[in-house]
Amino acid sequence: MSHARQVSITSKLTRMNMLVCATALSLACLGFLSYDLATYRQVTLDNLSIQSQVTGSNSVSALVFDDPVSAQRTLSSLEFAPNILSACIYTPDGKPFATYRRSPNISIPAKLAISPGEKERHWYNHENIFLVHAISFQGKPAGFTYVQSNIQPLIDRVENYLAIAGVMLILSLSLALFLSRIARRSIAEPIQRLANVARRVSKDKEYSTRAEPGREEGELAELVGTFNEMLAQIETRDRSLEAAREKLEEHVEQRTAELSAANKELEAFSYSVSHDLRAPLRSIEGFSLALAEDYDDKLDGEAKSHLSRIRAATTRMGVLIDDLLNLARVTRAELHREPINLSSIASSIAEDLRKANPERQIEFCVQERLETVGDGRLLRVVLENLLGNAWKYTSKHAWARIQFAKKRLNDEEAYFVTDDGAGFDPAFAGRLFGAFQRLHGMDEFPGTGVGLATVQRIIHRHGGRVWAEGAVEKGATFYFTL
Amino acid sequence: MKRILTVRRSQGKAGGSALVRCAIFFFFFLPECFSPGLLFAQNRPTEYQVKAVYLFNFARFVEWPAENGAGKDGTFVVCVLGDDPFGTFLDTTLAGETVAGRNVVAQRITKPQEAAACRILFVSTSEESHLKELFEVIAKKSVLTVSDIPQFAQRGGMIGFVTDEGKVRFEINLTSATDAGLTLSSDLLKVATTVRKSAPGRG
Repeated sequence: MSHARQVSITSKLTRMNMLVCATALSLACLGFLSYDLATYRQVTLDNLSIQSQVTGSNSVSALVFDDPVSAQRTLSSLEFAPNILSACIYTPDGKPFATYRRSPNISIPAKLAISPGEKERHWYNHENIFLVHAISFQGKPAGFTYVQSNIQPLIDRVENYLAIAGVMLILSLSLALFLSRIARRSIAEPIQRLANVARRVSKDKEYSTRAEPGREEGELAELVGTFNEMLAQIETRDRSLEAAREKLEEHVEQRTAELSAANKELEAFSYSVSHDLRAPLRSIEGFSLALAEDYDDKLDGEAKSHLSRIRAATTRMGVLIDDLLNLARVTRAELHREPINLSSIASSIAEDLRKANPERQIEFCVQERLETVGDGRLLRVVLENLLGNAWKYTSKHAWARIQFAKKRLNDEEAYFVTDDGAGFDPAFAGRLFGAFQRLHGMDEFPGTGVGLATVQRIIHRHGGRVWAEGAVEKGATFYFTL
Repeated sequence: MKRILTVRRSQGKAGGSALVRCAIFFFFFLPECFSPGLLFAQNRPTEYQVKAVYLFNFARFVEWPAENGAGKDGTFVVCVLGDDPFGTFLDTTLAGETVAGRNVVAQRITKPQEAAACRILFVSTSEESHLKELFEVIAKKSVLTVSDIPQFAQRGGMIGFVTDEGKVRFEINLTSATDAGLTLSSDLLKVATTVRKSAPGRG
């Protein structure tokens, strides 16, 4: 494209030069030709007039003394004037007196076309000039000379002129072509150079390139200068952008490092806390069990009741620690991505749940062949939590339906687990996935409030997201993407 | 331009010329109208009519010496010696004419002695026998002698009429004229049938 433009600039320059040259030369030639023709015509006429006058005055005596032979002799000297085709001497009463013909078939008018008293008259046809001149001798009319001259010299002249003009035109146009090459060197080439640089810059994004300032001056030099200035500005801006970006990256890296360090610390802390909490809990559990078994007969009813409460609390705390440990592990564990079948995982979990509570009337709907790539162990934890929740929050209903399937939402595929159980208040939907956040009382639905937090962590680690929809007593739907 | 040139060339010389001719004809030479020529009256002159005219015409082709200028009353006299063959023709021919600014008049004379005042002297055939006497009278007098006496030029006259195929022609004796101090125009010599300029022999 730019190449075509370059060509057009060059050819435009050339065309302009040629046009100007041709027009000027043609006009000049036309002017010269017109002037020359007018002049030449006058000269031709004058010469012819002189020739006829000379012939006439040489024929006066012949006319006066009625001697055609002498007049004939005079006329025959016209042989030496090659342009004269015929001539005739007429008597004063207009009768041919003596004639001359260059070739025998030329006709000479028998009657003269001149008014009495007229000195000279000429006329033309497309090949000849005719001239009649009155001969007078000592103030008295003595007769007339008539000459016929062809205009071949004039035609030859015009033709030569045109030929020369043509040759000159061709020469001038060649010269103009040559000169326009020089002009191109000073106008088109700097532009081409600039265009080349611009193309290179736009292609390679190499803003350190500069157009070389040539020998040219004026607008072209200014153009090159401005162009280079523009490049310099772009380069500066580019560099500062680059610097800002690097700085930003540095910041981000630093923050990320800080964050991950803090995170790791936190994880290590919560893991060791959960782990270290187990030992005292185990001794509480063991000694309260020993107390209950060994001192069963010595403890009264109230003491037994307290003891059993201690033991229940201990059990709950054990579950809590397990969940915390799970959560910590989920965060710390490496992801092992592999092709897995979510449908079969969901089915096996449903089977386990049925076995645990065979008395419940639950309809499980699992969509077939939900296959994806992910960490099978962790995704099993996700499904265990979601299906377990659904199982748990439908427990107040005599009959329930739980579904696991996939559907298209906007432009992403989302898996979802839906139930028609207790649901939740959408106003608190944001709190669902926080650790230890619970929307229901412990006595209503047991749980530690860690499950959904674990789910969220696993999904996040897979690069997906998780969200919930629901309403009180209208069931809940948990969506996740991978 | 090149294409136009080749086209022109391919049209051939004749076509190109015709084109150029037309262009020149129309652009530079406006056609000029013919006007009908004059109709001249036609009449066949008699021999002496012609001779009368010639007599006057001779005057126009001669350079007349200045010192021998004026006639008596400043006229240019054309004389006829002897029997007048012209009748009134001579007078009609000369009426109103001038030579060198002087009015031309005709005069009839009978004696050679009277001829000294004449500028042009026509010698009638009746005077053939008195030629010698005449020439002696007018010697060195710058009188142009003309006659239709046979062999007039050979016999010492200046211009002698001859008839050639029915046309009036004349012979010139240049020596006689030069001796008399007269210069005859070369145009006149050109139309003479014979020009003598040999020995000063008379007769």
